[in-house]
Amino acid sequence: MNQPNFLSHARTVSLAFLALSALASSLAYGQLRDFDGMMGRDYHARLHDRGRCTACHEDSGEAVAGYPKDGICLDCHRMEKLVSATMPEAEEDKLQNPHDSLHYGREVPCIECHGEHTRKEPLCADCHNFDFPDHQE
Amino acid sequence: MTNHRSSNSRRHFLKGIGAAGVASLTGPMIIGSAQASTTEWDETYDLVIIGSGFAGLAAAIQARQMGLENVAIFEKMPYFGGNSAINGGLFAAPGTPLQEKEDVTDSVDVMVADQLAAGRGVAHEALLRHVAANAASALQLCLDAGSEFHPYLQQLGGHSVPRTYQTTVNCGAGITRPLLDKCRELGVTTRNRSRFSSFVQEDDGRVVGVTLDTRYYYDRDVSEGPTINVRGKYGVLVATGGFSQNIDLRAAQDPTLTSEVTSTNAPGATGEAMLAMFRLGAIPVHLAFIQSGPWASPDEGGFGYVSNYSIFNFPHSVAINRSTGKRFMNEIADRKTRADAELANRDENGEPLPPILITSYEHAKEHPSAKKVLKYDVGWKFDDLDSLAREFGVAVGPLQAQIAEYNEYVRDGEDKQFGKPMDKISGKFIEAPYMVVRLWPKVHYCQGGVAINLKAEVMESSSGAPIPGLYAAGEVTGGIHGVSRLGSCSIPECMVMGITAAKSVVENKT
Repeated sequence: MNQPNFLSHARTVSLAFLALSALASSLAYGQLRDFDGMMGRDYHARLHDRGRCTACHEDSGEAVAGYPKDGICLDCHRMEKLVSATMPEAEEDKLQNPHDSLHYGREVPCIECHGEHTRKEPLCADCHNFDFPDHQE
Repeated sequence: MTNHRSSNSRRHFLKGIGAAGVASLTGPMIIGSAQASTTEWDETYDLVIIGSGFAGLAAAIQARQMGLENVAIFEKMPYFGGNSAINGGLFAAPGTPLQEKEDVTDSVDVMVADQLAAGRGVAHEALLRHVAANAASALQLCLDAGSEFHPYLQQLGGHSVPRTYQTTVNCGAGITRPLLDKCRELGVTTRNRSRFSSFVQEDDGRVVGVTLDTRYYYDRDVSEGPTINVRGKYGVLVATGGFSQNIDLRAAQDPTLTSEVTSTNAPGATGEAMLAMFRLGAIPVHLAFIQSGPWASPDEGGFGYVSNYSIFNFPHSVAINRSTGKRFMNEIADRKTRADAELANRDENGEPLPPILITSYEHAKEHPSAKKVLKYDVGWKFDDLDSLAREFGVAVGPLQAQIAEYNEYVRDGEDKQFGKPMDKISGKFIEAPYMVVRLWPKVHYCQGGVAINLKAEVMESSSGAPIPGLYAAGEVTGGIHGVSRLGSCSIPECMVMGITAAKSVVENKT
């Protein structure tokens, strides 16, 4: 437990968490990497290396137009697989599945928790001290 | 606040996608109203609802069940449910089946009297009475949609009897998700990332629609879809919640609520539709009455796990000032009384010294979130008072004396220190092993908002009459609760006033 007199315990925890996850990300799959001046996730290296921005972003001719549309990630990733990949083992934790949560079911758009080009904390972290060791900020 | 992007070069644009890059694209906020005569409608519905919390969802279901064909809910955030989806799921109602089962004598009058006391003389009795009288049937609407509740009642702070249901998931999502499913089953259009921008009015002031920004990304405050004009043939219902997350606005009302005070609310609770109603002339009521939740923990964000845990455990727990080792409040006084008392817990330098809530582990573990509280390190178990006192820097002597004294009150059924009602906690002594959480208030609820009448019509300040076509329900409305809303009285208000608004839209249709 933390120092009893210290009010912002949650902040301490999240700083510690950030430090830990920075350490982990130097080892783990899914880290942010520099692809020729553009940060991206290593598991999407093939898209970045080939300049395939339109795999996610709409193609408006000469420019890439805006953020990816909600749901476009699911062109390649199957919702069922994501849900089962993150299903907690204990029955009492099942509502904490980030891909099928108590609050929003399966409806949270991917980019609310995952940043392709930027660091992103999971939405759950707004209110809960959950540990998602495989989530790469 | 739409930002139409054009031909940035690919790399240039993508490099600018971080928060700073986007912020520079954000223009000034323009909210007011447009004239219907010059408006081209992109979409038309019988009823347009802004916001997808309890009030908006209940209104949509009621409207469809009363025969309105086309009903649409527009939600600013990427996900549905608003603040309702992360609230505590506590629902107060008098005259319910559980009260009958538990042999609790209650009535609309008693519930209203409890609320008037917490309202400190400025609550709206007629609206409270309307909500209390219809709360049990609104609860039934939740049950019909598939909500599940614990098979027991709770007695929350300021309530004279147990009258509070709670969803089995201990969260408002146990209501919003079934209601959202029900809306879709009934053919209600539900659209996320749709940010209210302004009202559209006829020349005579009637509200006939809204302008919305689409594909709205709240965290970067940009909109990437077209701005659309949406007509509400029979009306527009604003059910957008409070403004606890609008720090400038809330601190302007109450200078103590700066960014240093956190909030339990969802990030979308920023109040822009309320401000737009004021611009139309809606009467502002009680904006400075902003409530902090006395059951929140400084050890997690938002509502978290501790809030519901504390609400459940306050009746049979002691809240202890760590400087003195003594109690400092009636643990089930109303929210404002307790929040103010907690905020006075300071160290010798005036810095916050969050008080501790001590409960017998035997009783604490009965709450469904107790395991989570321990697991996520936001509450702790102690085998003896010495280790507990040492952990929190409390002098063990005074603490031991305080607990012995309190246990006498439990035995005698009378709290001689703070007058806490002891009749429901007979035999619940504070004994080892103990469970402890820390307490610090968080901004939770805005009692203020726009004035409405008993039909959920928004009242206009210069005429004193309703603004035709404009309805509001839930936390965005003001004055119902007065100074301090009692816990578990928001869900019934949202549900009942949402239903009421839908009925009024149908009544006013002809």
